[in-house]
Amino acid sequence: MRGKLLSPLIFLSILSAQSGAIAHGVRITHQVAPALEIQARYDNGENMANAQVAVYAPNDPLEPWLTGTTDAAGRFVFIPDRALDGNWEIQVRQAGHGNIVSVSPEAMFATSDTINLSDLLVGTSPGLDSDTKYTPPQMVLMGASGVWGFVGTALFFIRRRG
Amino acid sequence: MKRRTVLLSVAMFVLGAAALLGCRQGKQPPLMEPKSDIAVDSAFSQAESSQLGTLEIRANGEDFVRRGLVSKDGWRIKFEHVYVNLSDIKAYQADPPFDPFAGGDIQAVGAVHLNQSLTVDLALGDEEAAPILVGQLAAQPGRYNALTWKMLPADRGPTAGSVLTLVGLAERAERAIRFTIKVNQPYTYACGDFVGDQRKGILKPGGNADLEVTFHFDHLFGNGELPADDPVNTDALGFDPLAVLADDGRLQGDLGMLKEGLSVSHYLLLESALSGLAHVGEGHCKEGEALP
Repeated sequence: MRGKLLSPLIFLSILSAQSGAIAHGVRITHQVAPALEIQARYDNGENMANAQVAVYAPNDPLEPWLTGTTDAAGRFVFIPDRALDGNWEIQVRQAGHGNIVSVSPEAMFATSDTINLSDLLVGTSPGLDSDTKYTPPQMVLMGASGVWGFVGTALFFIRRRG
Repeated sequence: MKRRTVLLSVAMFVLGAAALLGCRQGKQPPLMEPKSDIAVDSAFSQAESSQLGTLEIRANGEDFVRRGLVSKDGWRIKFEHVYVNLSDIKAYQADPPFDPFAGGDIQAVGAVHLNQSLTVDLALGDEEAAPILVGQLAAQPGRYNALTWKMLPADRGPTAGSVLTLVGLAERAERAIRFTIKVNQPYTYACGDFVGDQRKGILKPGGNADLEVTFHFDHLFGNGELPADDPVNTDALGFDPLAVLADDGRLQGDLGMLKEGLSVSHYLLLESALSGLAHVGEGHCKEGEALP
């Protein structure tokens, strides 16, 4: 029984030990940051899939700060630089039709604002801002779910091997 | 024990996900209220004359007019003239930016006004021709991100009485129709920021910038290069309904004649297309608004 309990700990220890220097190793870090999600669609409700997107930062309205394309659902997500104060402008174009929307910092970094346009729906991206989007119970629940997932998986394999 | 553990794990994830989703849906943000009130000109502070720049107003019928187009029903249309009468053009520094779809009025912190009525021929020039210069205005620096104008009947000249006159030739197979179509109903358009390859209306102190009144004639005739079910085509009149009204290879008429000759559904398409004709680059405009 003690061996069975120790196995997952040993497994986790091995994983932790991988932080040593490995030639050409790849390190991936992550951080939670507030993002803005664009939902672009035509005024008949059809999504603007694969449309051209140009994002203009507050400090330079002439040159795009970021370009890209919407996904199949007409969505485009980016993380604005909070250090740049002022309105962000996002232009979406496709086949000779387009629109441009201006999003204020207040709307961008608030939790409860949606800017509703006819063919370019813009809202704050749900679930990406750890500072403001998740309540403490949600954070606890997510953490518990993650831990329980690891424990449950480990127990499953331990029992199977036994 | 094994089965129970697995089921318990799955249940925990499902419950967690459901709880998170529920929390999200409970916080759906409300819609932004429409804007109201208009402030024009008066809020402009007086700048030093050296700070003033030049704002050009241009009109563009795009390649559809200069090069011709193939309608949604296969007519090859070439335009000899596309006269449009532009009046009362105003460029605004709107704050917040004006979006014609969102409703409400333009809230301007400043504006400039081209106080003249001018008929321009959008068909002038070749495919490479620059958009036609309508007027130049001395303007304070800033972001001119909204534009309004009227199309009123011309009071003199060959297009007197019309806001829009289309003169050209439509051909399909062995058939050719010379047409002159006059639109004599006034329109007003309110538009937001220019949408296109380049930004427009950004005027630096002592610099130059331009704004563009753009007309999309594919909204009227459709575009034979696009699928039949493309909204540009489903919403367009095409040329077939007009060809039916031609007599001995000629079609000459105004909106009254077309209203009488076209079916109700075709006339509604024509009306809708004319209302949606005006753009700022690729950005749509709102028609029928009382302008500030």
